[in-house]
Amino acid sequence: MAALEVRDLEVRFAGLGQPALAIPELELEAGARVAVTGPSGCGKTTLLNMLTGLECVRHGHVAWAGTDLASLGEGPRDRWRAAHVGLVMQDFHLFPGLSALDNVLLPQRLSRWRLPAGLADEARRLLDRVGLPDPRQKAETLSRGQMQRVAVARALLARPDILVADEPTASLDAEAGAAVADLLLALADETGATLIVATHDPRLAGRLTRTLRLDAGRLI
Amino acid sequence: MLGFIAADLRRHWIGVLAVTLIIALAVALGVVVTLQERALRLGSARAAQAFDLVVGAPGSETQLVLSAVFLQAAPLPLMEGDVLAGLIADPRVAWAAPVGFGDFVDDHPIVGTTQQLVGGLGRLVEGRTFAKLDEAIIGAAVPKEMDARFHPMHGQPQGPAEVHGGISYRVVGRMAATGTPWDRAVLVPIEAVWRVHGHGADAGHDHDHDAAPKPRGMAEARQQHRDFAPDLDAPINPAALSEAHAPGLPAIVVKPKTIADAYKLRRDYRSAHTVAVFPAEVLTRLYGTLGDARQVIALVAYGAQALVGAAILLVVVIHVLQRRRQIGALRAFGAPRAAVFAIVWLEVLTLLGTGMLAGFALGYAAARLVSRVVETASGIALPVIATPTDAGALIGLFAVGALVAIIPALLAYRQSPAAALRG
Repeated sequence: MAALEVRDLEVRFAGLGQPALAIPELELEAGARVAVTGPSGCGKTTLLNMLTGLECVRHGHVAWAGTDLASLGEGPRDRWRAAHVGLVMQDFHLFPGLSALDNVLLPQRLSRWRLPAGLADEARRLLDRVGLPDPRQKAETLSRGQMQRVAVARALLARPDILVADEPTASLDAEAGAAVADLLLALADETGATLIVATHDPRLAGRLTRTLRLDAGRLI
Repeated sequence: MLGFIAADLRRHWIGVLAVTLIIALAVALGVVVTLQERALRLGSARAAQAFDLVVGAPGSETQLVLSAVFLQAAPLPLMEGDVLAGLIADPRVAWAAPVGFGDFVDDHPIVGTTQQLVGGLGRLVEGRTFAKLDEAIIGAAVPKEMDARFHPMHGQPQGPAEVHGGISYRVVGRMAATGTPWDRAVLVPIEAVWRVHGHGADAGHDHDHDAAPKPRGMAEARQQHRDFAPDLDAPINPAALSEAHAPGLPAIVVKPKTIADAYKLRRDYRSAHTVAVFPAEVLTRLYGTLGDARQVIALVAYGAQALVGAAILLVVVIHVLQRRRQIGALRAFGAPRAAVFAIVWLEVLTLLGTGMLAGFALGYAAARLVSRVVETASGIALPVIATPTDAGALIGLFAVGALVAIIPALLAYRQSPAAALRG
């Protein structure tokens, strides 16, 4: 549960006169349910990159619960993100050749020598919670809907207080998309995490409590 | 992390296999050059061990050694017949034995010599030494039975040859394997060689066989040559070697009593009529040339390895760039940068290590194969021996590879995690 405070955020790309993103002020309370919408190229992904610390904040401030991402170097930002942010992406990014369980555990396995006791059990519990019958199934043999469920389980394993999803339903059929949307909302409720979802899907956006509409890098 | 690396390598197994194989072949090339050059050096040095000093007529010292020690067929100039007598009588000489060539049986050279050289080369494993002129001792690699009889052939089967139809030798003994070209040789008393070629005290005629009427053409001359049958049914007469009118010899193997004697003998027999050489000395000179050739070949091998290294670096870099979204995703999900670096680095090191070990095995096997082929053809045993320096060279190569592999690993390390998202 972290509150967000954005001040004077501006992102410029070389060769472009207008800033790709310009947000003078934005505040979200802890546990908010926020949709980010807008046409393609409006700056949704750029905003998510800034809010999750995937890219460096060069101008302005992005502060989660008092931690200003602009003041963190790349290594500390990675560590902060690993501890606080769960990410779900449009194209899942599961690693073929690994089982569903190993995919859920992979980020934790890569960040420490030895898995903390109980983490594998927690991963199994999460896979069960998202409705995956067999945790040993190889990632490449899952259906697309199942893949996104595994990705949701992976995003939640480190108990993040911020859950960010980038077009989580865009590459799924309506039914699987609705199921994943249900999961995201339910799990955000269960964990109390702040949920930010970039989406084109009006049904998904409509189920969230607040909508940030972006156009040409500006909130409207 | 290791599980992820294993899964990743398994998933790209075709590429992994191809890259490993290419590394293995490049490494094997270098290994074969090193091992085979060493084998040639050791093998030839061992082959020359029994030959302390070789005396011949003035001419090419290298050819003298190649012919007398390695039994390479070549027309050598002949020394005067009294040189051997002088050496046998010399108090500084333990023994001196003639080496006379000329005939073959199948493609095995028939070497005329004396009991001393047979003793100097090794021991008999079967039968006894020759006592009569028509008796022969065979080398370990000559496929003949005891008591077998054979006709010598003048010249080699591949070239123009004449069978000495009227002459036959009988196998009475077999030598132990020596790992030298002498394993392929047939040893007969030197007197027999002289008589077969029309020399010798009681033959009384030269190679024109002038006891017979003058031939009236080539065909008849050949026929006479084929039918020529000197009397070999006589015991060996050691005194024949010391006779003043003994026929000329191409080479004499000398065993000096001491090292000092060896040097004195070499000095004394370097004259207008004879030349004396230490085969080891000539070999050292040959090794110099061999070493130069090895360096050239080794440079080519290193060049091939460098090219292969560069090509593989390119492949790995392209592969890393192609997977930048996947690598970004790893970091986006919380894997530290160091882990991303380690994954790429360890994957490259795995390929490199596997390829190099396989390459060494492949190179070793190839060197053994080359040795076996050369051994069958020449009789020179070429021992393929890996030394600690080889391991050192491999470790050095691995270290260089590990350093170069830092490049793609750094590339992955610097990959922005934002690449994982769309766009």
